[in-house]
Amino acid sequence: MTDSKLDSYRKWSTTPLVERPRYSVVIPAYNEEWRIVPTIGAIAMHMSSFDVPWELIVADDGSTDSTVELVEELDLVNLRLLLAEKNGGKGSAVRRGVLQARGDIVLFADADQSTPIEQFEALAAQLNDGYDVVVGSRAAEGADVANKSLSRKIFSSGLSFIVRGLFRIPVADTQCGFKMFTSDAAELLFRRQLVDEFSFDLEILYLAGKFDLKTCEVPVTWIDAPGSKVDAAKVAVEFLRDLCVIRWNDLRGRYDADNHPLINDPHYPQPKATQAA
Amino acid sequence: MQITTFPHPAEEAIELKLTGRFDAHESEIFRIALTDALGNGNHHIRVNLANVEFVDSTALAELVRGMKRCREARGDLTLVSPSDPVRVILELTKLDAAFSIV
Repeated sequence: MTDSKLDSYRKWSTTPLVERPRYSVVIPAYNEEWRIVPTIGAIAMHMSSFDVPWELIVADDGSTDSTVELVEELDLVNLRLLLAEKNGGKGSAVRRGVLQARGDIVLFADADQSTPIEQFEALAAQLNDGYDVVVGSRAAEGADVANKSLSRKIFSSGLSFIVRGLFRIPVADTQCGFKMFTSDAAELLFRRQLVDEFSFDLEILYLAGKFDLKTCEVPVTWIDAPGSKVDAAKVAVEFLRDLCVIRWNDLRGRYDADNHPLINDPHYPQPKATQAA
Repeated sequence: MQITTFPHPAEEAIELKLTGRFDAHESEIFRIALTDALGNGNHHIRVNLANVEFVDSTALAELVRGMKRCREARGDLTLVSPSDPVRVILELTKLDAAFSIV
């Protein structure tokens, strides 16, 4: 007799994992006190319904509101809260979370639940078909996008043109906060990531191409969450700057393991294979 | 989100049956539906959440506001059959103790 989905959630929320998780879900969070708890609830309920071991990681990015206290008070035994001394950018929070993830499959999902967690299965199916990186996409045919502002539409179109045309990254939507990786791909990419801000996604996808990882896009349902922290004009300028930085980093060989400014730092997170259990 | 309103057959109450995602974009249509129900003299409101897959903080605040309005009118607001994810969100936010849930 199988337990109900609610029973699976209750078991997950109270019984510590004793085996390696199949799935890891990473939520980067910066001043998300208004949105984080419903998002955790939705993700926890949906992921528990698979009835396989999974873990949830909230990578706080130096929040100054009550995000940390709210997450701590939830008392979910398989939720790990990673703290940062100061705000380092979304890219830094995602990197910390992903490099701590122990699952065979790693998803990072934005804290606003703008891409509902119910899209998880569609992305996981592609990983099971042999892809290394699967990108939730608002631009792929079949995507269902609601309430997206005109400024964000213009920003996305311009970005897509530059990214595909000039940087040869074959992904139409680099910025959707819903991306999935095999554990090996996550390790390879996020250990080399150097960009800490908004355009870290672009760097990750650039690196996926550089290292010949099999990458695809999956159309998702996306609902613009009110209170988005994205300032399209400001971000566009930063994005163009970071595009040049990424290309320059590559030309200088900074993504090669021997020449990487962080990989050889003893304070940098060590590969999982060398960590204590 | 869609809202269907109908009188509850066994009780002197109006039931608002919500379908879809209840978030900040949808809070106004909920408020309007509730205002219409209260304006028609119905102060016992049932909000059926069986077909709602997600509620955000704005929606939760809207439900609390609705409960206060009903109580000020000497009525009540009851949550009916919340879906599993909504039930979990109510628990995590500790609002399950504030609402009457059937």
